Amino acid sequence: MTRHDRFGGFAFVLPFVGFYSFLLILPFFMGLWISLHRADLFGARKWVGLDNYVRLFGDPVFYQAMGTTFTLALLIVPALTVITLLLALALNRATRSAAIFRGLFFSSSVLSVTIVTLIWRFVLTPDAGLIAKVFTAVGLEPIPFLSHPDWTIPAIAITTIWWGLGLPMMLFLAGLQQIPQDMYEAAALDRASRWTTFFRITLPSLRRTTILVVMLQTAAQLQIFGQAQLLTSGGPSGSSRPIVLYIYEIAFGRWELGYAVAAAEVLFLLVLVLTLAQYWLSTRKEDAIR
Amino acid sequence: MKRSRFLLAMAAVFTLASCERVDDRPTLVIQRFFGECGAVYGRSIDVGKADTECGILTTILNRFIAENRDINVKVNVVAWPGYPQLAAQIAAGDPPDLVTMHQSVISDYQGRGLLAPLDQYLAEAGIDTDDLTLAGQRGAVKDGRYYAMPWDTIGRLWHINTDLMAKAGLMANGKPVLPNSPDELLEHARRFKAATGKPYLIQAQVSAPDYLVANLYTYLLAQDVQMFPDGRHIRLNTPQAREIVQLYKTLNTEKLTTIAQDFPAATASFVNGEGGIFPTGTWMIGPYDDAARASDSRLGGYAMLPFPRLWGNSAAFVDGHAWVVPADERTPEERRAITRFLKFAAQYNADWVRTGHLPALRAVLDAPSFRAQPHRSDIAAMAATGRQLPDYVQRQSAIQGLIGEELEAAVTGLKPIDRALADAERRVNELLAQI
Repeated sequence: MTRHDRFGGFAFVLPFVGFYSFLLILPFFMGLWISLHRADLFGARKWVGLDNYVRLFGDPVFYQAMGTTFTLALLIVPALTVITLLLALALNRATRSAAIFRGLFFSSSVLSVTIVTLIWRFVLTPDAGLIAKVFTAVGLEPIPFLSHPDWTIPAIAITTIWWGLGLPMMLFLAGLQQIPQDMYEAAALDRASRWTTFFRITLPSLRRTTILVVMLQTAAQLQIFGQAQLLTSGGPSGSSRPIVLYIYEIAFGRWELGYAVAAAEVLFLLVLVLTLAQYWLSTRKEDAIR
Repeated sequence: MKRSRFLLAMAAVFTLASCERVDDRPTLVIQRFFGECGAVYGRSIDVGKADTECGILTTILNRFIAENRDINVKVNVVAWPGYPQLAAQIAAGDPPDLVTMHQSVISDYQGRGLLAPLDQYLAEAGIDTDDLTLAGQRGAVKDGRYYAMPWDTIGRLWHINTDLMAKAGLMANGKPVLPNSPDELLEHARRFKAATGKPYLIQAQVSAPDYLVANLYTYLLAQDVQMFPDGRHIRLNTPQAREIVQLYKTLNTEKLTTIAQDFPAATASFVNGEGGIFPTGTWMIGPYDDAARASDSRLGGYAMLPFPRLWGNSAAFVDGHAWVVPADERTPEERRAITRFLKFAAQYNADWVRTGHLPALRAVLDAPSFRAQPHRSDIAAMAATGRQLPDYVQRQSAIQGLIGEELEAAVTGLKPIDRALADAERRVNELLAQI
């Protein structure tokens, strides 16, 4: 590669790297700097060193919020991955009904979080919601989905799964359509059963798509915010407050910008480490095969 | 060649289109919450015919614009309560000129030097601060100066289904009989449930951390308990607080109240006659009165009264809405525009309180037209007895959130009362230490 070629390559990536650095890398380091201060939203800064981090790691509400966040991610990511894979398998055919259902299942994804939570509030609201009415009509005690600590997290998870079906389903559909048809023909000639075909051909061929879906969803669900804020406000007693809602409350309700940014930096590192770990774990086997 | 001529022509068109006449009028940016109702009231200037907070305020602003053509008025409607947006605007150095603000929030901005003192503005607007109600004065004065023009006082009341109260034998001379002690409250509640099969209280306890806090504050203020000895500390784990929380826990445990309801569900329950008393805001008087008068009403009779005196004196924890002016450099013309708006808004205080709020002006409070409105004479005393937290207490909204969360845990049995109050005290003190 000549020097001229190298220069051309840099010229192509420079605009992206410039924007990326300006919008992500620079704010990350500015955030690190602010997190070392007692700071508010209006420019007040007082150097406190690592105090914000020390406070954070001694704050029971931070651990509660982290616990809620991981629980939500554990409930949502595997379920969403399996459900969307099954949907993609069912709808991977060139019929009109399949096209209609693909559109139908994708439609929830185009709604804003406000509309999604409004819909699910109508369904889940204790006492007056759709499910509560059905339970009352058959003489059962309504389930307090939005007011009992045992039910609020599942309620947020269900809402999120319904909302998030679209993109992973489309990714799986795209992945399925890239599997060469002759592999299935060869399997048919070998009289492989449907299960064998699925486990030996389809699933391994979707390996990279599955890794992508799991990584995207993990990163997204660790940053869950709107559904919790609008459905339960993080309650009751903070039991459904994810970490991003906690960060928002600290920054905009309490004006403790330094402390909020410290929590945000910790969250960023966690998302980064988890995503890299997932990637490493899922590609390790692939490397070994090569 | 043709293409470049076309592009040049388009550029010229865009350049000319972007030119507009220079507007040399002073600009007044008014930022408010209370919702958006432009579809109904967008062009109305008939304030007397408007209804609801949003409708009345929209028509007041429309009328101000119509009568003050020499001011370039821009109205920003923000989602309730709009403080994150205001904070971002101030941080960006682009604050509005007038903002609706809860009186409990004023200390946050005033303490940080983000609000302009209004003594001079009020004097120039011809508003004598002695004409303001006591509750209004308490809400607007910080460090001895006016930082807001109070516009109303809002508090919580006991909204009562008198039909069900009569069934339970809790009416006398056409008026509801309210308890005078915590024990009597429990006795009434049990009697009510036995007679009607319905809960005595309807409470919006879901997604409403401020609900329990308002009850706690009310009864602590009634006993003259000094919750905030200074601006850095709260004293909450006290015998008085434990007793109040225990009462609400007992109501939950014995199912003498609704439990799993948010505000819309609780309102629906009350309007449908599914419980006796709904302690909620002054702003619901109108809707409940209308519901009770409807021909197909299931609410039956309706009355409302201030919180009963269970401990100490008659007192109510109140808040209020106010107009504030974020600190900024302004020309004399802009200052005069602000003054004119404050004067105009004060003139329409009587219309504003048709929402159910209590007026901030004594003259409006004493006016026969105010007293003639449904139930207003029953609650007028709150304009004098209504109490707020001391003016040095900042982050009151965040503090309510923290305490509310712990109270929620206490009354639902997730935490012992002692521990919940101790946790609330610790969390609030940590917050106050950071200011």
